[in-house]
Order: sequence, then structure tokens, then C-alpha cells
Amino acid sequence: MGRIVLDQVSKCFGDVEVIPPLDLTIEDGEFAVFVGPSGCGKSTLLRMIAGLEDLTSGAIAIDGEDVTEVPPSKRGLAMVFQSYALYPHMTVRKNIGFPLRMEKMGQAEIDKRVETASQSLNLTDYLDRKPGQLSGGQRQRVAIGRAIVRDPSAFLFDEPLSNLDAALRVGMRLEISEMHARMKTTMIYVTHDQVEAMTMADKIVVLQAGVIEQVGSPLDLYHKPQNVFVAGFIGSPKMNLFSGPEAAKHGAHTIGIRPEHTDVNTTDGMWEGRVGVAEHLGSDTFIHIHDTGLADMLTVRITGDIAVKHGDKIFLTPQADQIHKFDAQGLRIE
Amino acid sequence: MPDRKLPRLLQAPAVLLLLVWMLVPLGMTLYFSFIRYVLNNLRHPEWTTPSPSNWRGFGNYQFVLNSKDFLLAIQNSLFIVCSILFLTVTLGILIAVLINKAFPGQGIVRVLLISPFFVMPAVNAVLWINMILDPVLGLQGIAVSGINDVVDGLRQAPVLGSFFSLWPEFEPISFRATQTSAIAVIMMVTWQWTPFAVLIFMTSLQSEDQQQKEAAVLDGAGTWSQFRFLTLPHLGRPIAIVVMIQAIFHLSLYAEIEIVSRGNGNKNLPYLIGEFANNNIGAASATGIFAVILANIVAIFLLRAVGKTLME
Ligand SMILES: Nc1ncnc2c1ncn2[C@@H]1O[C@H](COP(=O)(O)OP(=O)(O)OP(=O)(O)O)[C@@H](O)[C@H]1O
Ligand SMILES: [Mg+2]
Repeated sequence: MGRIVLDQVSKCFGDVEVIPPLDLTIEDGEFAVFVGPSGCGKSTLLRMIAGLEDLTSGAIAIDGEDVTEVPPSKRGLAMVFQSYALYPHMTVRKNIGFPLRMEKMGQAEIDKRVETASQSLNLTDYLDRKPGQLSGGQRQRVAIGRAIVRDPSAFLFDEPLSNLDAALRVGMRLEISEMHARMKTTMIYVTHDQVEAMTMADKIVVLQAGVIEQVGSPLDLYHKPQNVFVAGFIGSPKMNLFSGPEAAKHGAHTIGIRPEHTDVNTTDGMWEGRVGVAEHLGSDTFIHIHDTGLADMLTVRITGDIAVKHGDKIFLTPQADQIHKFDAQGLRIE
Repeated sequence: MPDRKLPRLLQAPAVLLLLVWMLVPLGMTLYFSFIRYVLNNLRHPEWTTPSPSNWRGFGNYQFVLNSKDFLLAIQNSLFIVCSILFLTVTLGILIAVLINKAFPGQGIVRVLLISPFFVMPAVNAVLWINMILDPVLGLQGIAVSGINDVVDGLRQAPVLGSFFSLWPEFEPISFRATQTSAIAVIMMVTWQWTPFAVLIFMTSLQSEDQQQKEAAVLDGAGTWSQFRFLTLPHLGRPIAIVVMIQAIFHLSLYAEIEIVSRGNGNKNLPYLIGEFANNNIGAASATGIFAVILANIVAIFLLRAVGKTLME
């Protein structure tokens, strides 16, 4: 259980409106990801759902019950913080058991639940250590353990992986996804890493300056971005966006083409340019192309490799059915 | 290890100076405690110069142990130090937690809170014993006579009067008396040293992790649980520091004891040393050695206790 409904929720810090009134529904069992640039209000929104931040206006309902005035601990939510926020003076065992101890649960039951949680998170060997004696990944696991023992109706994650190194991040990403598949509990996950967003989410909520730009499944956002911001934000490398006569030819104010939807040729094509930096990743090559007269720089992505050097002439041809068109307000034209 | 030589060499003067600073007085105290050494003795003029020929063995120690004030001095030392520690740490934590919240006039309040620490101990003692605790002229005397006046007035009241006539006249307490002078010392030193504790605890509280608190709130911890399970362990080390430093300072209290009652019924070890040192340097030195031993026991005991209870 854990259907979360935000109704005209807004937040001001003093005179600054960080989040203008917004509506959002997160279905029971859904994995929702909030993405957006730094400072767009992702954490603030999450903290408002958790109850750590008061609402300026609006209401939040969990499972149909208005919880706007309910204190954080009574909302049945568990949160995992970016800095882990473990209790440094307690052992891992005590850390994980702390929420249960606060519920005045019997010691035997606490031990049992801590045991189960630590087994599923591979923490059994570390139960008697203090957080200071653990690696970043292990600390993260303890933080997750502390969240799952409570059997919450929803999990809230605020950039839980951003302090981990790249390899560990991939591993933990999978673990959290598996955890979601197993427990089928609602999860709200904040990140600015769009790979995390694309790979984990059932539903992505793209935010900019506190405004929801688009809500949809990862592929929805990829194939049908509702506006220029989402088009530029989702996808890596970024979509090439430009306006001008070339866009007018397609009857749009702005058009966009993804790097991977552009064919490259050294002899002929629709647009001509000069090769800048080429990033060889082995499986893929990203080529930055200048002097096209369309935009400062276009990026294309080709599978495998191509024999071009810095300064070479190069021709591009966009795949016609993959061109995204936007009007003067930046909204998508079908 | 040739690369270690230079640093060692450069450290040497400081280490040497420290050793001399500590070892020479300690050595002299030890030496004097084993010989007969008095400032004035007509029958044995040879005792007035320290020399190994006046060897007395453990005689001085025996003399001190058998003197009627020794046990009282040890008891009093411990009583005074432990009471002050308990009071300053408790009050210090309470005040630090209280003023850690943001409120208007915070800066002024903090400065005022720290100010007792800048008063000289002797001045502190004179102020307290004469202006506050004096049974006639001090605040205490005025307050007690004020209450008595009010009760007197109420005795005339129509119905309640009969109830108030059952009340006794309040007597002001003399803090120079044998039984109460230690209490007076504890009060004045607590007043002076609580700011020190507040200062240290306050800086420590400001470094407390707010996200841990938020996590605890979500975990269902109330204000008391947050204090007990997060703040108090976080303060463990600063508490140990405050206890250590204060134990060292208060085991050697002297000015307050002298001013309150001239040691009347309220001696501690340093005061006893002072009394012996009027003439009997040997006995004073032996008492000094006892004081060193006591200080070490107290330090070890206190550190253990603080470490155990707070840091689990
Ligand atoms: N306590 C506060 N007082 C005033 N302004 C705040 C406060 N907390 C956040 N803000 C402002 O609200 C905006 C949103 O902050 P928030 O932390 O939600 O951003 P975010 O999307 O989580 O960013 P990041 O990805 O960098 O974590 C920011 O402009 C920030 O400056
Ligand atoms: Mg954030």
C-alpha cells in the first residue's frame, strides 16, 4: 500500500517560491524518479512528502488519507539520505533496529527483523561494527536496512548513490531495482543522474524550477519529449536542438535530433560540418561537429568507429522520422 | 633512521624543559616528604635545613594519616569536586541545548552567559559570601526577611490568616558554618565554571549532524530520544574534556575555601597542605604526594565512568 497524491502542493522559503502549486500522483507500487537540474526543488518536494518540510499550501494524501498535518513518523514512510545519516555511536545492529526500538517493539522481534534485513543486504558480518568502520557502499546498505525493517508503505530516496564510485553505483542501482521488484513497495527516488532515472523508473517526473515539465515512462520521455527542456534533459549525449531556417523547413520553431539518430558520411549528406573532438568509447564514438551553420556544435553518436580526424570535413543526415519539432513556446508539435 | 634525528633534536629542548618543569618539583616534594624539614624549631635547629641526615622514612606519611583533619580533607576534596562536576555538566548541557536554538538576542545572551568565567576566583568568593549568601546583608538575608514580612502580613488576613500562623519564621542559613561552608564553595565555583561547560558543549552542539536528527524524526524518535540517543553520545567527548579539566582545577581549590571559612570544618587537601606548610614542610610534602595519588585515581575513575556510560 502506498498511493501518494499531491494536490496543489507549493513551497515558499520566505518570499522565494521554490515550488509553485503542483499536482502529482504516484501509484501504489510504482517506482517514481524525480529528475531535474540542481536546485530545481527535488529534495524539497521529497522532504515535503516525508513531512520534514511544511507545506505552504496544498495537501498530501497517502492511501486516500490526508497526511498534511500528520507528523513524519506517523506517515509510514522511510527515507534514505544522501549522506546516509547513520547514527555514529551505535553499531550497525542498533542502527537498523532503532526505528523498531522507537516503536517499543520487543527485543526478540527486533533481533529477528534486523537479522532478516541484514541477510537480504549482505550485512551479517558487519552487525557489530560502527558506521565509521564501514565503506561507503556498506553504509548505504545499512541506511537501506534501517528503512526496510520498518515495513514502510513507501520508500523515499534522496540521491542515495551520489557518494559512491561509478562501479559501486551500478551495483547498488541493480540491488535497489531488485529490491523494488521483490517488495513491490512504492518508491520515490531523487537523482540528477539520468542513467539512474532511465534504468530504474516506472515513471519519471522531470522538474525545472519547481515546475513539473513532464511525467511519463522513461521511453515516453525519450521518444516523445513534451517540450524543449525535457528533450534536452533526457538522453545522453544531449539531443541537438536548433532553430532558424532549417527548423522552419520542418514547419517548426525549434527542431531536435538525437545524436544516435543522425547518419554520418564523409562524402555526402544533408548538413556539412567540421570534426571537432571525437570521443572513442570503444563500442560507440561521440563526434562533436562544428561549423554546420545550425548550432555552435552538434553531437553525433555512431556505433563502432569511423576514420575521421580533427578538422576533417563530414556530412550528416538526420533520420527523418526521428526529428522532434517544437513551436515558439517550446512545446512539442506532433 | 637518520631522517628522524633532526626532528628529535629540534623537539629535545621543549621535552627537556617540560621534564624539568614537572620532575624537579615532584622530585623535591618526594624528597622533602621523606625527611624531617620544618621552618622553625628551637629544640632541633638542624631540622630547619633540608638534608638526608634528617631522614624520617614514612614518618611524615604516618603523621599526616594520623592527623585529625586528613580524612575530612580527602572526603571534602571528593565531595566538592564531584558535586561541582555533576552540577556544571548537568547545567552546562541544559543551558547549551537551550540556547542552541535560534532566538532574538542570542548574541547578547551568549556573552552574558560566558562572563562569570572572567571573574577572578577570589573576587568570586568574596562577592558570593558577602553579597549573596550573607545571612544579614546578602541577598539571602534580604530575601528571607522579605518572605518573613510577607508571611507576617498574611497572618493578619481574615480567613487564610489562621493557616499562615502555623508557618514558622524562616531562618537565614549561615554559609560560614562548619556544615554549610562546603555548600557555599560548591555554589560559587559552579556559578563560575558552568559557562566553561556551556561554551564547550555549545560548540560541539553546533557540529551536530542535522540529517541524523531528521532521520531520527522519521524513525519515530521524540525530542527525548533524540537527546538521549544522538545528542548525548555526540557530547560524550566534550563531557570527558570538561570533566577532566575541571577535576584538575577543582582538586586544587584554595582561594574560595580560605575566604568562606578559613578552612573551618571545610578543608580540602590543598588547604591542608597550606596549613602544614606554615611550619612542617615534610608533612606538607607528604600530603602533596597523597594529593597526586588522589588526583590520578579520580582522573582514571572519572574517565572510565564517562566513557562507559556515554559512548557505550
Ligand atoms: N531551508 C531553505 N531556505 C531557503 N531556501 C532553500 C532552503 N532549502 C532549499 N532552498 C532553495 O530551494 C531550492 C530547491 O532546493 P532543493 O534542495 O530542493 O534542490 P535540489 O533539486 O534537491 O538540488 P540538488 O540536485 O542540488 O540537490 C534551491 O534554490 C534552494 O536554494
Ligand atoms: Mg537535493
